[in-house]
Amino acid sequence: MPNLVPHLLNGLSLGLLFALIALGFMLIVGVMELINLAHGSLFALGAYFAMVIIAPELSWLGSVGEGYQALPLAMRYGLAILLAPVLVAVVGMGLELCMRRTYGKKAEYGLLLTFGAALVIEEIIRLVWGPSEQYLQVPQAVSGAFLFAGLIYSKYKLFAALFAVFAILLVWLFLERTPYGAIIKAGAHDSEMVRALGINLTRLRLLVFGLGAGLAGLAGIVLTPIWGLRPHVGIDAVIPAFLIIVLGGIGSFWGAVLGGILVGLAVGITGAYASEWSLLSMYLLLIAVVTVRARGLLGRKSVLEA
Amino acid sequence: MGARPSAASAWISGEMVCLFAVMATLPLWIEAAGLYQYLGIEIAIWMIYGLGFNLLLGYSGLPSFGHGAFFGIGAYVFGLFQAWAFESLLLGIALATVAAFAAGAVVACFLSHRRGIYFALMTIAFGQVFWFIAIKWHTVTGGEDGLLNIPRPALELGVASLPLGSNVALFYFVLLVFAVVVVALWRLVHSPFGKVLQAVRQNEERARFVGYNVWRFKWAVFSLSAAVAGLAGSLFSMAQQSAYPDVMSLHASGVIVMMTLIGGGFVSFWGPVVGVAVYFLARDVLGAVTETWLLWFGLVFVVSVLFKPEGIAGVWQERVSGVLRLRFADAPLRSGRTGDVSIVGPEHGETKDAIGQSPSGR
Repeated sequence: MPNLVPHLLNGLSLGLLFALIALGFMLIVGVMELINLAHGSLFALGAYFAMVIIAPELSWLGSVGEGYQALPLAMRYGLAILLAPVLVAVVGMGLELCMRRTYGKKAEYGLLLTFGAALVIEEIIRLVWGPSEQYLQVPQAVSGAFLFAGLIYSKYKLFAALFAVFAILLVWLFLERTPYGAIIKAGAHDSEMVRALGINLTRLRLLVFGLGAGLAGLAGIVLTPIWGLRPHVGIDAVIPAFLIIVLGGIGSFWGAVLGGILVGLAVGITGAYASEWSLLSMYLLLIAVVTVRARGLLGRKSVLEA
Repeated sequence: MGARPSAASAWISGEMVCLFAVMATLPLWIEAAGLYQYLGIEIAIWMIYGLGFNLLLGYSGLPSFGHGAFFGIGAYVFGLFQAWAFESLLLGIALATVAAFAAGAVVACFLSHRRGIYFALMTIAFGQVFWFIAIKWHTVTGGEDGLLNIPRPALELGVASLPLGSNVALFYFVLLVFAVVVVALWRLVHSPFGKVLQAVRQNEERARFVGYNVWRFKWAVFSLSAAVAGLAGSLFSMAQQSAYPDVMSLHASGVIVMMTLIGGGFVSFWGPVVGVAVYFLARDVLGAVTETWLLWFGLVFVVSVLFKPEGIAGVWQERVSGVLRLRFADAPLRSGRTGDVSIVGPEHGETKDAIGQSPSGR
């Protein structure tokens, strides 16, 4: 019997990160009933944007001024975490404008379109940044390792997990405590009624898609220092994201968080016994849950079931 | 096409004869066109795959994003059979097809009571499971490298033995299989079974209410489509002389969706055939000019989904007849339009005739 504690901690932190990836996905699927298969590409795009913001001299931007490059890495990293998601959100909004033609058609159209968009974004990344593995710098304070209870942990993983908790709480506060959040939730519940109440649904969808894309980009910035940064890293993100959403229940905030943690724990625990096969457990978990309960753990009945 | 009932019920149609004639002369002129013999094999194999896939996407309206799994299973089973048992062409292909059918049948048990997006998502999950196993089960599948040195066994005809080592010989063998698949699937989609599939696509609820066991039809078409994918996969492992997990990835599974859609699988039996040809020609012709041909192909796909989901076949049909002659009564995937001529719609006159062709009725 291996010592499970480090695996459980690993699983928990992975679960929180998975939940972070799934947040943006959840917003879009909740309000727009659209599975955004481009989520992974936006995730990768966020990390690439951050890389340029952190170290513009290493990219095609070239030198952008001595003063900026002299700033401490932590400050440039902070700027990247703020700015890159906004840029991704703009890309996401552009995608939403294309999506409009598919509204009112069957949900499969959205699926096909975002699949194509994912391919296009990935190819653009490959074109701009090249196909090879890149490295996203992180500040000195969160790199390296520390010792706790006789075991070595990566500082960055702890930082990323805490950041995920922070981001999840922030999104929750936004959804629960602001009027915008109320409108978004109402849109997820009954978009016709929202429109009837005089709220501009078109703009709401644009904003939600932008927000979802921005969160995907944010997740990319936080996760790629762990996973590595390559043009097709998005596929490692979009698949857990949709698994978690389906597992937790489409449109349920805490379902997404719960799904993320469950998937993380499943991967962590199987990692203790068969590390080679650990990622398989999340697919099997999904298949098991959805076979029994199509709408997921905390989900309500969704139009997507029809 | 479907507009003429006589053509639909025939075993061989004019389009088939033309297609087979063009394909059969391919080895004579493909090199003159600046391409190479191997490309013909690849195109023919993927056409088989695409036609089988379109049973799901176009005819039943069930988008599978994990179909590469069954293609891969066919390839691996063929390779393993040659390595572990003995070299045999037909037995290997038959076993690969049966294995893919069996895998499809198991997966379909989980999928068949799912609809729409949930169906698509479950196919992704299952596709990933198989892909993951192929990568990790080193002792059997050879991991990421895959199975190497898969032979091309000779075709034993009892009196004669035809070696398939050369690309031209293998091409004609694949073409033969292709012809059989085309005729079989053409008959299938124009059979009462095919009509029920289209009814399921148009409105699953109605199909159920008129008494069809929709679950069983979805299960059958998924398993069948998986079997065709496995057949194509076994041929592919012979062509490549190897089997590797790449063909099972989500990316590869998505490519077959794109080919089928761009070609016009939603409106025409021949959609996937057109799409596969366009894809491979684009890969070789555009790929020679630019490294980023996949970007352009992806853009064409996006534009196609947005503006012309009927694909190339749809554009062609529009040109030919002035109006889009939908071979299917309803534009696929576009539900809820008024004025649909629905096979299972009780308010339409044609309805009773179409329902009369129930699988048990004939």
